[in-house]
Amino acid sequence: MSQFFPVGPAGDFADPSSTLVDVDDESIVLIHASGRFYALDDVCTHDGGPLSDGPLNAGDDPPSIECPRHGAEFALADGAALTMPATKPTRAHEVKVEDGQVLVRLCD
Amino acid sequence: MATDTIPTVADLERPVDDVPHEINKYDFITQTTGVFKARKGLNREVVAQISEMKSEPGWMRDFRLRSLEIFKSKPMPKWGGDIAIDFDDVYYYLKPTEGQSKNWDDVPKEIKETYDKLGIVEAEQKRLVAGVKAQFESEVVYGSLQEDLGKQGVLFTDTDTAVREHPELLRQYFGKIIPPEDNKFAALNSAVWSGGSFIYVPPGVHIEFPLQAYFRINAESMGQFERTLIIVDEGASVHYVEGCTAPMYTTESLHSAVVEVIVKKNGRARYTTIQNWANNIYNLVTKRAMAYQDSLMEWIDGNLGSHLTMKYPAVYMMEPGARGEILSIAFSSKGQHQDAGAKVVHCAPNTSSRIVSKSISKNGGRSSYRGLCKVEKGATGVKSNVVCDALILDHDSRSDTYPYIEVEEQDVSIEHEASVSRIGEEQLFYLMSRGLTEAEASSMIVSGFIEPLVRELPMEYAVEMNRLIELQMEGSVG
Amino acid sequence: MTATLPADMQATRFDAAGFEALLAARPGEPAWLTERRRRSWEAFEAAPWPSNKDEEWMRTDIRLFKLDKFGPSLGAAESIVGEQPLLSNGVELGGRVEALNGVATLSELDEDLAAQGVVFGGLGEAVTCHSEKLEKAFAREVVSPTYDRFAMLNDACWTGGVVLHVPKGVRIEKPLHAIARMAGAGASDFGKTIIVLEEGAEATLLMETASTDAESAGLHNGTIEIVVGRNAKLRYVNLQNWNNRTWHFAHQKAVVGREGQLQWTIGALGARLAKVNQRVALTGADAEAQVNGAMFTQGKQHLCYNTHQHHEAPYCRSDLLYKNALQDHSRTVWRGMIQVDEAGQRTDAYQRNDNLMLAATARADSIPGLEIEADDVRCTHGSTSGRVDDTMIFYAMSRGYTRQEAVRMIVAGFFQQVFDRITIDSVREALGEAIGQRVQDLPNQ
Repeated sequence: MSQFFPVGPAGDFADPSSTLVDVDDESIVLIHASGRFYALDDVCTHDGGPLSDGPLNAGDDPPSIECPRHGAEFALADGAALTMPATKPTRAHEVKVEDGQVLVRLCD
Repeated sequence: MATDTIPTVADLERPVDDVPHEINKYDFITQTTGVFKARKGLNREVVAQISEMKSEPGWMRDFRLRSLEIFKSKPMPKWGGDIAIDFDDVYYYLKPTEGQSKNWDDVPKEIKETYDKLGIVEAEQKRLVAGVKAQFESEVVYGSLQEDLGKQGVLFTDTDTAVREHPELLRQYFGKIIPPEDNKFAALNSAVWSGGSFIYVPPGVHIEFPLQAYFRINAESMGQFERTLIIVDEGASVHYVEGCTAPMYTTESLHSAVVEVIVKKNGRARYTTIQNWANNIYNLVTKRAMAYQDSLMEWIDGNLGSHLTMKYPAVYMMEPGARGEILSIAFSSKGQHQDAGAKVVHCAPNTSSRIVSKSISKNGGRSSYRGLCKVEKGATGVKSNVVCDALILDHDSRSDTYPYIEVEEQDVSIEHEASVSRIGEEQLFYLMSRGLTEAEASSMIVSGFIEPLVRELPMEYAVEMNRLIELQMEGSVG
Repeated sequence: MTATLPADMQATRFDAAGFEALLAARPGEPAWLTERRRRSWEAFEAAPWPSNKDEEWMRTDIRLFKLDKFGPSLGAAESIVGEQPLLSNGVELGGRVEALNGVATLSELDEDLAAQGVVFGGLGEAVTCHSEKLEKAFAREVVSPTYDRFAMLNDACWTGGVVLHVPKGVRIEKPLHAIARMAGAGASDFGKTIIVLEEGAEATLLMETASTDAESAGLHNGTIEIVVGRNAKLRYVNLQNWNNRTWHFAHQKAVVGREGQLQWTIGALGARLAKVNQRVALTGADAEAQVNGAMFTQGKQHLCYNTHQHHEAPYCRSDLLYKNALQDHSRTVWRGMIQVDEAGQRTDAYQRNDNLMLAATARADSIPGLEIEADDVRCTHGSTSGRVDDTMIFYAMSRGYTRQEAVRMIVAGFFQQVFDRITIDSVREALGEAIGQRVQDLPNQ
């Protein structure tokens, strides 16, 4: 299991917002929505589009983020692909806030 | 292609001479008045008016309006062909008749004559098809289905009727396989769609003869946006055939369809298209099927007409054992660009696919194959084979091949090959030494080249296809 | 070993002050070159980075690339003992060039070659003494200095790279060799390499790159421009072997004239992220190019090589073979195009890409392409992707090999087809050795 990497002070990430962050040389989208933090691969499994550039549907059930290229939606909590044209989940990573710092641990 | 449960050419065989219609039968204009024509242009009012004309439920109206916003927000594709469409100079909705007929005699005379000339009426009389839908401009004007199929629970209606009569079944799939966000033209269709076929085949039902749809654009500056949804339930099978024609006008028309297909466990679907739009029609179509466990989805796609076609039928293999097969033929002549292809997406283990593409470019035409073979993570034991062959018949013409291969798994076997060549001189010399003219010899070689597609067509389409090829080849020198 | 850099180098960045510092550090350069640098710098400042909306960059994510972590090369580098070159092992060389962080540290050429008019050395040094000859070579712009922001930045800030100019009719028997090394975090190697073979000339040039340690993140932003004249013959080998933290961006293009022949072999092993455009244009009748590529990746490496075979003239032949093997979470993108102009009648063009998937978590994108505007051609491409055949591993293990040895043999066998086409023994051995070192044990299936 890899370690937690700090990505910045929690106060730097507005609610709601989605931000591209560098976690151990990987592009991760850090999402702050309804008081919770989520971290997903910033990659649409359909064709590699950057999720951090797409709309955040924080009020949806389940809350999701949408790829700007073809509209594929992914659940914030587990990265599940919710709509076509994506059929595979994007990776979801563990996030925690400690002493005001957001920390992300990459899943394997 | 597997043909054990789907009718084959042999099932439909009849003498070649029996084919009724002539080759230049498409280029005539039917004088009709129509009962309603939305004004030109695309905006919320036009979209809302279409929905209102159709007395649609609120969810569909909202879906259309949302899709219009998506259409406006998406840029035009930078790849493919040159799309020079003035979206404000198109009629998005044209209602030709009041209501749909179940009997040809009830169809307005001039429209019936159109389909007579196209041979549709006769084909049905001869019971070569299990059901017919005829779409003229925006609406389906005639529909029929063999009685026994109806009794078995088969649904074959136009999609507007399905919205009213089968809302639950339709809503479960409509726009789920191809959401409006997918691409600009899927969004456009989602906003202004009208007509198209809705098919449901209940579990275990095999429909022996094809269901046929015939799409006709008759008016100038017309946009046709049919929307088709086909659901093949477990262990069922269907063969759907569509033909498309339009007369030649001086201004361009637009055809932009969305076709969604679901093939459930052990089901089989074959979707055959003979596209012969006039050479000033933009044909920008999204077609996608989802194939579940041990099912088979086949697209047979012949593109001969249109000014520009951009169409890449897709099969998403969602569960183990699903298969996708796509056969694509493109013929481009003067003023034509066929940007056609196929997509296979392997989402589950032990799925397999095959793509065969044949293209011919002649007299300044441009044929492009554009395709995707993707293996998603977890899709082990995948086999895919893609073969593209292109013929270029003269130095003014152009051929392109753009296959995309994306592999995210280890345990796969993916093969792709493509070649571009001219008609072999040896072949020509041989045939000419047997007394054929050069044009005849070329034509014969081209026929042989596309034979794999023609072999898969119902007989009357096969004969028609051969005649179309002959017509395209007339006067050409290899 | 982590090398430390001079303090000023760590402080200087690719900004206006850094650019002026770079010019100030190169007082001997001819005026035309300084002007050219300034033009390109202005273009660079005005241009945006490539966007992931561009088709060319859609598969290569550079959002984590931060130019301000790197600085330009400002002068004489300290001499650092680097890795021994791989390609020149046991080869009797006609000349050699070594560079560190984009500055030549050694330059040698056989006297008899120099006497025949051959120019070979670091371009940054040669440009002052061969100004006239090189002004012409620059003006050809084989690689467009305005192609994208990387090309602009290279044209403004290059310091390294080599020049090889072989006069008409001169045939160089002994291979020439160049190695570019990088040392220290934040270091850069901005190479510009110019190779010109005049009519009837022949040469073999072996070039490679190396990082002095495995951890320091460096930046390579290079261009290579090759002109193979009428009936000239060039064998060119380029081994990219940076460490796995280095960013590698390159524009490379060869123009082959009438009856000219080019054999161009690329080995791509290193880099955290590599984005390379490798182009060959056949501009004279009966020209020929053979392009070989071997890519072998591990970890989280992302290597993207775009190749282009352009047939501008009739009766030309091109033959491209790229073999990629992927481990771990790595990803390769190979995108190839054969373009045949209307004038390219009787073209015979081929391209092939094979991917060997050594891990389920790796990803290979293969995008061959054909754009054909002539009718009398034969153009073919092929692509395959597959895994190691388990039965072959079992067979080898039953003969007493360990699993890793078995995999190594299979990987070697996979690349054999490329090795067979390489006519230089030392290159074959070096590539085989470098690849062998990187083979890991396969996880049990």
